[in-house]
Amino acid sequence: MNEWSVVARQESRDLWIGGRGPVLLFGFSVLLSTITYLAATNRAMNFLEQREAVNLTAQVGLAVGVLLTVVTSADAISGERERGTLEGLLLTPVSRRAIVVGKLAAASTMWLGCLVVSFPYLWVLGHGVAGATQAAVLALTVGTLVAVGLGGVGMLFSGWTNSNKTSLACGLLLLLVLFAPTQLPALPKTGFGQLLTRVNPIGSALHYISQVLVSRRPWTHDLSYLAAPVVVAVLVLVVVVAAGPRLVRLTAGSR
Amino acid sequence: MATIEASGLTKRYGGRTALDGLTFTADAGQVLGLLGPNGAGKTTTIRLLTTILEPTSGTFTVAGVPGDRPGRIRQRIGVLPESAGYPGRQTGGEYLRYAARLFGRSRRDARAVADRLLTEGGLGDRADARISTYSRGMRQRLGIARALVNDPEVVFLDEPALGLDPAGQRSILETIADIAEHRGVTVVLSTHTLVEVEQVCDSVLILDQGKLRAAGPIAEIVAGTGGLSAAFLELTGHE
Repeated sequence: MNEWSVVARQESRDLWIGGRGPVLLFGFSVLLSTITYLAATNRAMNFLEQREAVNLTAQVGLAVGVLLTVVTSADAISGERERGTLEGLLLTPVSRRAIVVGKLAAASTMWLGCLVVSFPYLWVLGHGVAGATQAAVLALTVGTLVAVGLGGVGMLFSGWTNSNKTSLACGLLLLLVLFAPTQLPALPKTGFGQLLTRVNPIGSALHYISQVLVSRRPWTHDLSYLAAPVVVAVLVLVVVVAAGPRLVRLTAGSR
Repeated sequence: MATIEASGLTKRYGGRTALDGLTFTADAGQVLGLLGPNGAGKTTTIRLLTTILEPTSGTFTVAGVPGDRPGRIRQRIGVLPESAGYPGRQTGGEYLRYAARLFGRSRRDARAVADRLLTEGGLGDRADARISTYSRGMRQRLGIARALVNDPEVVFLDEPALGLDPAGQRSILETIADIAEHRGVTVVLSTHTLVEVEQVCDSVLILDQGKLRAAGPIAEIVAGTGGLSAAFLELTGHE
C-alpha cells in the first residue's frame, strides 16, 4: 500500500471514528434539513420554482461542505503541532509529501460525507424533474473541484502557521472573502463584475450550477466559468505536493 | 563498531547557537547518556541525529547511514521524543499498528508486532483502551514500544522518565537496560537526572550551553571528583 494511503486511512479513521467528523456532518444535515424545509414550503406557496429550490439547496450544500472541508484541512498540520503528535509522524520514514497528500485526502472525506448527506435532500426537492440528478452530478464534479482546491489552501495555511487558531482564522477569512460577493443582489454582467465572478472559485462554481439548474443551459454553455475552480484545484495540488517537505515540519518555517 | 558518528555538529537559530561543534561516537549495544542542564542542547542533538532538524554545519552518520539520507536513517532508528503527544482517541493497539504500517509493515505483520510490544511493555490488557485513559507511565511505556516497532538499530529516548513516580522511573530504566542488553541496539538516553545515567548508562556526554564539556565512560568522568553529581556540577560550572 502507498505511504500516503496509510496516512489517509488512519487520518480518516481519526476523523470519523470518535473524531469530530460525525458531529460536523450532523450539524450539516440539520442545516440542510432546515434549508430543504424552507425551500419546499416556499415552493408550495409558489414563491420558488422546483428547480430554484434544488439550486438553493445545492448551493448551500456546496458552500457549507467546502467550509467544513477547509476547517478540517486547516487543522491537519498545525493541530498536530499543537497536540505534540506531529514529531512522531515526522520520525517515520514516510515522506513529507506522502504525509501532506494523505492528510489532504483524509480532509477531503469530509466533503464526500457532505455530498452523500446532500443527495437525499436534492432528490426530495427535485424528484419528477431532471434537476435532482443534475444537481447531484454538479455537486459531485464542481463541488469536489472547489472542495479539493480550497481544502488544499486550508492545508497550506495549516503548514505555514504554528497556531491552529491562526490557520482556522485564515481559512474562514478566505471563505468569507470568496463567498461574500455571491450574496450581492447583482453584479454587473460585463467588465469588472464578471471578472470578479470568474476568478472567484466559489462564485463561478455557484454561477455555473445555477445556469445549468435554473436557466437550463446546456452543460457546455458556461463551461468557461469552471476555469477558476479547475485552476485553483490543480494549482493548489501542485503547490501542496511541491511544497510538502517545507510544510510538514516540526515548527513552521524552521529547518 | 560505531553506530553513531557526529563530527562538528552545529545548530544555530538566527544568532543563537543551540549546539556548537558536537563530535562523538557511540558503539553498538552501548547505552549513552546525554547529560546536561535545561537548555544544554540535548533535545537539539537528538532532533539533529533523528533528522527532524537540519544541522547548520557538521556531519553525522546513524546506523551507518549518512545524515543526508534522512529517510533511510528514520527507517533504522526508534525515538521517544521529549513530551511526546499521543492521540487520545486511538487505542494503544491502534497507535502501534499505525506506527508499524508507517514503517512499511504489512497489516498482519503490524498487528503481530503491536501485540508483542504491548505485551512486553505490560500493556497487553489495555491494548483496546483509548490512550486518553492511560496514566503517564503507561503512555511512556507505549512511547517506548512505538520506538521499537521497526526493530531499530539505534534508539533515542528524550527524558523518558520525566514526571514519573519512583516505581515508574525504575520500570522505565529496567526497560531501557533490557533494550540494550537483549536487542543489542545503541540507546541514547537524554536526561538531566543523574541517577538514571548512573543506573543504566555505559558512558556519557555532558553538554552545557550547546558545548560538549566531557565525553567517555562514567568511571573516567567521575575519577577524582567524588561522584557523577560533583563532576557534572564542576563541568557545567554550577558549583
